Parts: sequence; C-alpha cells; structure tokens
Amino acid sequence: MGCISPQQTFEPVDLEALHPVKDNKLNAVEPSYKTIPANQLRRMSKSVRMSIGAMSPFITGLKFDGVIIGTANAGMEESGKFLDQLVEYDEDTLSPGNFVLSTSNAIAAQISLMFGNTGYNNTHVAKGHAFENAILDAAMLLAENPGSVFILGGVDEIASNNYLLDKQSGWFKSGIADDHDFYEANSPGTIPGEGATLFTVSNLPAGALAQVKAVQMINTDSREELAESVQQFIDRMPAKPNLLLSGENGNSDTLPYIDVVERIMGADVAIARFKHMSGEYPTASAFALWMAVKLLSGEAELPSHAIKSGTVNAADLNDIVIYNLHKGVQHSLIWVSKV
Amino acid sequence: MGRIVVTGIGMITAIGNSVEENRASLKAGRSGISTIKQFATRYANMPSGEVSTSTAALQEQLKVDSPGVTRTSLLALHAMQEAIADAGLTAAELANTETALVGATTVGGICLTDELYRDTHGQSKGTEYLGSYDYASVSLFLQSHYSIKGIVNTINTACSSSANAIIYGARLIKNGFAKRAIVGGADALAKFTLNGFNALRILSDEPCRPFDENRKGLNLGEGAGFLVLEREEDVQDKHVYCALSGYGNASDAYHPSSLSSDGEGPYKAMQQALETAGLNPADIDFINTHGTATENNDEAESRAMIRIFGNPPAFASTKTYTGHTLGAANAVETIYGILSLKHQEVYPSLNFEAPIPQLGLKPVENYHKASVRHVMSSSFGFGGNCATVIVSKI
Amino acid sequence: MDKQELKEKLKSQIIQFLNLTDLTPQDIKDDEPLFGDGLGLDSIDSLELIVLLKREYGITINDPKAGRKVLADVSSMADYIEANRTK
Repeated sequence: MGCISPQQTFEPVDLEALHPVKDNKLNAVEPSYKTIPANQLRRMSKSVRMSIGAMSPFITGLKFDGVIIGTANAGMEESGKFLDQLVEYDEDTLSPGNFVLSTSNAIAAQISLMFGNTGYNNTHVAKGHAFENAILDAAMLLAENPGSVFILGGVDEIASNNYLLDKQSGWFKSGIADDHDFYEANSPGTIPGEGATLFTVSNLPAGALAQVKAVQMINTDSREELAESVQQFIDRMPAKPNLLLSGENGNSDTLPYIDVVERIMGADVAIARFKHMSGEYPTASAFALWMAVKLLSGEAELPSHAIKSGTVNAADLNDIVIYNLHKGVQHSLIWVSKV
Repeated sequence: MGRIVVTGIGMITAIGNSVEENRASLKAGRSGISTIKQFATRYANMPSGEVSTSTAALQEQLKVDSPGVTRTSLLALHAMQEAIADAGLTAAELANTETALVGATTVGGICLTDELYRDTHGQSKGTEYLGSYDYASVSLFLQSHYSIKGIVNTINTACSSSANAIIYGARLIKNGFAKRAIVGGADALAKFTLNGFNALRILSDEPCRPFDENRKGLNLGEGAGFLVLEREEDVQDKHVYCALSGYGNASDAYHPSSLSSDGEGPYKAMQQALETAGLNPADIDFINTHGTATENNDEAESRAMIRIFGNPPAFASTKTYTGHTLGAANAVETIYGILSLKHQEVYPSLNFEAPIPQLGLKPVENYHKASVRHVMSSSFGFGGNCATVIVSKI
Repeated sequence: MDKQELKEKLKSQIIQFLNLTDLTPQDIKDDEPLFGDGLGLDSIDSLELIVLLKREYGITINDPKAGRKVLADVSSMADYIEANRTK
C-alpha cells in the first residue's frame, strides 16, 4: 500500500512530525515523481499523479487483475479549467485536454493504461461512501475470483471549484489559531484535505499486512438510527476492538454523531483521530485504513498527537474499527484486524 | 442462489417520457434527434436528443419543490418512479436496508454550467445548487426522496457508467449485500459536454450514422433509465421481464479517449458477459451496440464483434433515436433490449446507407418481429472502460 | 518577425500549450516529426495545436486530418502560419 497525503506518508514515513494546517487547508505533500516519464506526467491531473505516486512502494514487479477506485472529485480541477475556457472563449474552439482529464475514471484508466491491464476497472463516486463502495466492490471481486489481486484506492484533491463551493456552503472553518484548535475550537466547519491512498488486495493471508473484516455504510442524519446501526455492527463481531479510529473533524455541528459512536464503543476502547493529519475529504477513510494497517502490521506506531483517550499497547493491538462520517449524513464503519 | 431477474423498468428520453412511449417511437422509426431548445448555446443547432419536457414542467409533474434539484436529478426521479411502480415496490421495501440504489452519471449537476461558473467565480451569493454539482448528488437526492436505507452508490466511468451500475447492483444481490437493487443512470444535456465532445471533434453536425462508412461523429442526448433487479426466488407472482443473465467488464488500456483498433477492451467485456451467462456467441439474437458513430468506436466495436461472433447477429444502435445519453446510455439501451425480449421484435438503426469498407457489417434497417432469446447491450467509455450486459428471456 | 523568430516563438508556445514541462525550445528541432517518432505527440495534442493556431494566429483548421499535414513539424507549421495568419 502507499499513501500521499498532507503528512509525510511516503518514504521515509514519519507520522509523529505533524505538518500543520496552512491557509485553512491541509494540502498534500508530494514526492518528486521522478519515476513517472514526463510525457505521461503532463497528461495527469493532480489526483492521477498522486495516485501513481502512491503506488510507488509496491510498483516494482506489480501484477494485478483489475483496478477499483473511489473518488468524489478527481478530475474536478480539470473540469474547472475547461469550464473557464468555455466561458472565457464563449464556446469557441476549446482545447480538449482538460475535458478528457476531467472524467472521474481517469485514475483507474491511467493505472490500467500504464500497466497494459485489461482486467476489471471501475470508479465509484458516491462522495463520503465512494471508498467504502470501492472496498465492497473489491471484496465481491475477490469472492468471485479467488486468488486474484486488485488495486483498491481512495483519492481526492482540493480542486479550486469544489473548495469554493464547499466554503460558500459553510463546510470549512475560516480560521484556526493553531493546531490545538483543530478539534478544540468548538466552532462549525472543518479543514479540507486531500490525498491518494492505494492498496493491493487479495483473499490470500500469506504476506498480507492486515485484514478488512467488515464494511458498513449508513445513510442517516438521525443519531438514533446511527446508534442502532453501530450497535448492530459491533454485535456482529466476536469481541470489541482495541481502538476506535475516529473521523472526528473539528466540526462542532457533527460532534453529536461522534459522541454516539464513542458512547457505544465504551470507555474501555481507546480512541484516536486522523483528520488533523488527512484533512476532511470524501475518501478520507482510505487514509484511515492506511493508518490502521500501518499500526496492525507493526510498521508504525500511533503518533501521540492522534490519541484522544485511552492507551494503545502496540503488542495487544488486534482489531481497529474506523468510524468515518462525511457532511453529517454518510457514515461508515470499517473493521480491520491483524492477520 | 438462483437467477437475478428484472421486475421493473422506467425511462425518459428524447423519444418518450415512459417505456411505452419509447417503444412506440422505436417501432415507428421516429428519432428524437433535433436542435437544442432548453438552454442557450453556440451549438444549439448540433443535432441532439433532448427530452421534450422542460425542467420546470418536470419539477411540477414530480411535485419536487425543494431547492437545488438539478435537471439530471429530475430525469432520474422520473425514470425511477416508473420503474419502482412497475415492480410494485412498496414504501416499506424501499426503506429496507436490503434495498440498494446504484446510480450513474457523467455530468451530475454540471448540467448547470452557467450557475457553476457564477458560483465559483464570486459572481453570486451562492445559487441554490451549491451542494448539487457533484456526481453523487443525483443518487443522494433519490435516496432521500424514497428514504432508502440500503447501500447507495454512484458510478462514473464515462459512457459505460450505467452498465457498471447495473453490474454492481446485480453483484450486490449475488453476494448477499442486497435483496433487490434499483440500478440505472441519468444525464442531462449540458454546455459542458457539448463543448467537450466538440473540442474532441467527435460531435456530428448531422444526425448520427452508426456503422456507416460516412459517419461523422456522435449526437449527444439526455435521459434516464432505471431497472429493478430482484432475486428470482423472491418474486412470487410479480411479473418478470427477463433474467440479467450475464455481464462483463474490461479495460481497453490503449488511450485516454479512443479505443484500440482491434477493440480489445470491447472484445474482453463481451467475452466475459457470454461466459458469465453460460452462452455461446451463436445464442445472442441481437446486440444493442455502443454505436456512437464516431470513426473510432464503430470500427473498434465492429472488429470486436467479428472477433467474437465471426458473423455477428442482428445489431443496431438506438443512439440514432436518443442520441448518446452518456451516463444513462446502457440503462436505456438495456431496457430497449428487454422490450425486444418481451415483444419479440427488433428495432432498427437509422440513417444507415453503406457499411464500413473492409468490415462490411450492416445493422438492422427495418423494424420487424423476430425470435429473440438473448440480447447483448454494450457500452464503451473514455479511459477505455468497457462493459457489457446480457438479458435473457425466461 | 522573420521565419526563424516565428519558429522559436512557436516552439515556446507548443511547450506551453501541451504542458511539455521537461523541454526547452532548444530541444525541439525545426524538422523533427511532432507525431509518431520524434516528439511522440498524439491525437489529443493535434487538436490542442489546432486550438493554438486559432488563438494565437487566427487560423481555423476545420478538418483535423488535413491539419495533421500542417502539423508535421515546426517548419511546416511556421510555413502555414506565415501564409495564413490573420493575427
């Protein structure tokens, strides 16, 4: 797996050193992309090049049977550029490059193009459930094609148009004093982020870093309905998790949903947060999954700035539940376990 | 488990606001391709398949008075409404966690091209559509409208989107994540896509001529199509149209906006559909092709069909009636395939005169009754995304 | 502007329009094929170059296929621009 995010999540990975919010955004820290030929790089939107860059850790000798990507706004920056052209030149003789790159499936297409892979290819764009649907798609593919390997990814970028639209709708904070304010500011709105997180997935335990045991998507704005769904999810599992990796994002309006989930987990489950690292974006749960796998595989330790409550003993860490929510209506639970 | 069957269908296109209206137009050879009247554009005279109902009229008919509902969402609601009524789904069934909704769109709310520009260039205090421009907004609108509690998804793989939505819905049922799935897609005509396809020089200034040696490009269209998929064992005495018997998805992996000349992606998608259906090429009685009438697609698709079938069965492109409805395309065209099965008839391709030299394939040119047991419906999108669906008579 | 100046300007414009960020004008030879072998541009690039001709030089090319002959290399583009520019 690999991750490009607002933190140092590509080699050398360092989660402890927290890159702060700048101009109320968490922009991705990108590598130099030296391995991508210039001729290909010029045809890549930011989402696409981050995705290819995120594949770096596992690209050598990579063989796979298909690609499944979850994204809400990949290609939106290009859409915006095409739109600007359209208006500024009053629909006269427009250059097509931006239009071709504006399709959501450009990431999955580029990956299959680069590797000459003619297998399964799909792109889910269900916003806060885009990555979750991608996980489900991959899980079904593995059940249908045992022994296969698929690339699974969650990618989004801070595209100027989307940023402006969400800002106008009041989803973002207009100012936080310092990083202590990210969760403590007690104000509405959050901080946008971006990232590309890609995994190879199979149903073979040998060599695996972790196992995704369950995924649950919940569509509701009701705390009661959320509570019921979360309780059912937990009840289906043999034991409580060691850690809740929470998608709390500093938005005081959506804090009640976080409270519901924390209450159901109970005081004996440690809680950590990830959105001060990833920022808020529709497929941020992919970042959370990467982090959970890093912890469960022993490749990294939980950084101190991520702990909200409780203690996490790395040796005892067997099960992590990720709870994510996006814009207060799309909730998801992902159960990840040590292999 | 048993077969996945289709129990309801609904649609709205340039040739009709219901399944029956569409069929009547297909039988009569009556195309819906004309000039664009719903919005002002330099390209209003480019032949396009525009739905004749205005956005305001759709809002009124569908009794939607909440703000920020785009034309794409209204078209989707119209088609979904017909499909779920056809399938006799109750409110309780819709609100059940085992009912999934899988939509598809390539434009979403970007059909409101001018509003989007104003909203993102500080030229307005924020129109009512601020939250409606994204692709997911259509399915989320439908989910909210019907209080759907199961898995809700939207797929965007450009022109093959609704094929992948149909396939995903079927697999959710097959793998036990849903008992029924409402699947389909919607797209509204937009300055954005009109200009995009024109910039690629694949928009034709004449009614499109799929598989013709003098084809000049595609006509855009708009519309929506939805199908209700259920497990055969759950159906009881409901009427069933057909089985969703096979599906395939493959990547062409050749170029961002054109297919390989021998149609590798289309070939693999069609091949996989036949395999999952347990059918031989000779079993297919009719193919509703992608048939956009671009120079590239029709050649690649023809070669792929020849590779699989040797001598392809009867085929046509109904884009000659509706235009290329992008995210709705495969849903609309698969529904036409279902009508072929139900009524044992095939619908012709319009505007065909002479076949592509060296390939020599001729589409069906006249409506006629026929023995139809299995229909294949294919869609191939930007990025080389290829998807094929097979529907079969039960 | 003489032909050589036009060619140099054209090379910069090509680099900018097609986002060829790893190239300088010196890297593009006057008679090096732009498509296929040589610079390795593709069909989308040819459409972009047609837009460049329209926007910078006021030249309209309606048939992309005919356009490919004009776009064979920088020299043929410069020749065509000199003969047909309206800007």
